[in-house]
Amino acid sequence: MTEETVTEPLVHIQNFRMDFGGNTVVSDLSFDIDRGETFGFLGSNGSGKTTTIRALLGIYKPTSGTLHINGREFRPEDGEKLGYLPEERGLYKAESVIDVMTYFGRLKGLNKRAAAAWSMEYLERVALTDKAKLRIDKLSGGEQQKVQLGVTIMNEPELLILDEPTKGFDPVNRRLLMEIIEAQKNAGATVLMVTHQMEEVERLCDRVVLLKDGKAEAYGTIAEVQDKYGGTVIRLEYSGEIPDSAHYEVTLRGKRQAELTVVGHVDEAVILRELVDAGVMVRSFQTAKISMDDIFVRVYGEQHEAAEA
Amino acid sequence: MGRHNLGTVISFEVIRTLTKKRFWIATLVVPLALIIVIGLVVWSNETTSRQVSEQKTAEFTFTYVDDSGYVDPAVATALGGAEATDREQALEDVKAGRIDALFEYPSDPVTQPTMVYGVDSGVFENGKYAAVARHILVTSSQARIGDETVAALVQGNVSVTSTTYKDGGESGGMNEVFPPLIFLLIFYVVIILLGNQMVTSLLEEKENRVTEMILTSLDPTTLVIGKVVSLFIIGVVQIVVFVVPIIIGYVFFRTTLNLPYLDLSHLVVNPGSMIVGALLFVGGFTAFTGTLVAIGAVMPTIRDAGQVFAPLMIMIFVPFYAISLVVSDPHALIVQVFTYFPYTATVTVMLRNAFGTVSPLEATIVIVEQFVLSVVMLRLAVRLFRYGSISYTQKVSIRAVLSSPK
Repeated sequence: MTEETVTEPLVHIQNFRMDFGGNTVVSDLSFDIDRGETFGFLGSNGSGKTTTIRALLGIYKPTSGTLHINGREFRPEDGEKLGYLPEERGLYKAESVIDVMTYFGRLKGLNKRAAAAWSMEYLERVALTDKAKLRIDKLSGGEQQKVQLGVTIMNEPELLILDEPTKGFDPVNRRLLMEIIEAQKNAGATVLMVTHQMEEVERLCDRVVLLKDGKAEAYGTIAEVQDKYGGTVIRLEYSGEIPDSAHYEVTLRGKRQAELTVVGHVDEAVILRELVDAGVMVRSFQTAKISMDDIFVRVYGEQHEAAEA
Repeated sequence: MGRHNLGTVISFEVIRTLTKKRFWIATLVVPLALIIVIGLVVWSNETTSRQVSEQKTAEFTFTYVDDSGYVDPAVATALGGAEATDREQALEDVKAGRIDALFEYPSDPVTQPTMVYGVDSGVFENGKYAAVARHILVTSSQARIGDETVAALVQGNVSVTSTTYKDGGESGGMNEVFPPLIFLLIFYVVIILLGNQMVTSLLEEKENRVTEMILTSLDPTTLVIGKVVSLFIIGVVQIVVFVVPIIIGYVFFRTTLNLPYLDLSHLVVNPGSMIVGALLFVGGFTAFTGTLVAIGAVMPTIRDAGQVFAPLMIMIFVPFYAISLVVSDPHALIVQVFTYFPYTATVTVMLRNAFGTVSPLEATIVIVEQFVLSVVMLRLAVRLFRYGSISYTQKVSIRAVLSSPK
């Protein structure tokens, strides 16, 4: 008999509900984040992601439900090793880079000397050493983002919460940011990431939750979520008329190219046979997993259309 | 993990304020302006005094016509004058510049003007003619009295010391009023100097979008208390910057600056009034601070906060519009309203306390009211800050905040 160790999830959210003055922003949300995983928290604008994070961090008090980090409600004074990069970013603009970083380091439990030393080391890493004594508002937007990221990770956080981390970064700095996130992950940090960049989700995230109408629309590994939404797409080069079928949906139709999303668990060969039998001249037939981007569009597209209408 | 976040907040806030040039410019501009104004006043006084003195004894040639009979020829002669035998000729001599001036004393110098004619010697120098003409008449009149003391008494140079009794003992009178008023003075100085900083201090977190980072590193109560304490420390620094030059000036340069001697030994310090004054100061300060912090948490920008801040500041001056009633008729309706309305209570009761018109019961009620208001406002401020400072661009609905879960 093998001994199984059951580890408590680092983040546990159960039946979370949040009302603001009669408006329900999140109605019933539950999910867990395991230690060491990178977790994608996805949803359209206004779906309640930031509200959930704020409630998890004790900034908002939930209307009902449980939001735990390390088995208890988060309180800054408990000394939890947490790094949070909020969507709304800013630092004390009239203060110097090193003073601001040292201040936050001290708030996170470092002594002044250690906070200053860590800050200088980080600034060297992101090529900002020469700007350590400049006021924050003398830095460019990208440089300010780098400083803010440094403040976020300066206490070697056990849990790193990143709300739209690449927002405002150019491609070069985005790559640097991703390297830093990966380094944190490799150092054992658990990462909770809110993003609309689905390629980042596919590349970095172990599991995701999709928030819709205040509830978890989908929750699981990337593969599980892809499976839920058909899992497989077929990219087709063809001539002729694609027939209707219960085995697929035509999600993209061009003159000679089309994309079919497989419905349910059906062998792709069956679909190929159907097409050939219907007289479609198939020149190319490629299968791939449905992208997170497509899933996002499928889940939230209707919402956008309704909102625009 | 041992965190000293309150100390960290206080040291960060104090150091970053005290190392800013604009703080020292703002702090020093008032005392510097005062020093310049006082210097100019002292210099002007000395100059004027010297000029008056010089003018009274200025030597120039003059003649006079005395219809009053009060002018002592010896006094006029001593100053270089001579009685005119022909008024018209004397005036012609002045016009021709042969003599400098002619004084015509009327028969009744009290009801009729003394006429002075002189050679123009410039706007400022011309004053010497009137000064000498007046000096001759006053000195001649004093000489007629023949008694220096009577002459001084006639001029009203009288010193009076009053002693009054209250409840069988000697009462302090006005000497008892001043010591408790020191708390009112400190209250005004602190609120006026720091009120704006109280509002903007928390708005800074909001305008810089730094609130969420702060709230995940620090309990908002710690932040608010840290801000209040650091503001108080900064206020003390500002008061020291104001007061030290005054003390140095008074102690070392009193004579040079012609400052009056302040005999503080006559002041009567009533322990009861001083304790009430101190409690009112602490309660009033924290109540105002809590309110200003709450305003900062609710408003999206400094400009928006100013619209609420200004009326609040006016309230601490409103009791002075009814000061005669506050002092003389404390039971008047308006005084009672000012006494118990939270934002006029501090100043009103501090005044009444100093003038001895507040009863122990009234003082107790208002002190308790101020401390309760302080706690309520600070708690509300923390709550509004927690929710309001994240609503970065819009004014927070207080109702929505209060109806959200605790």
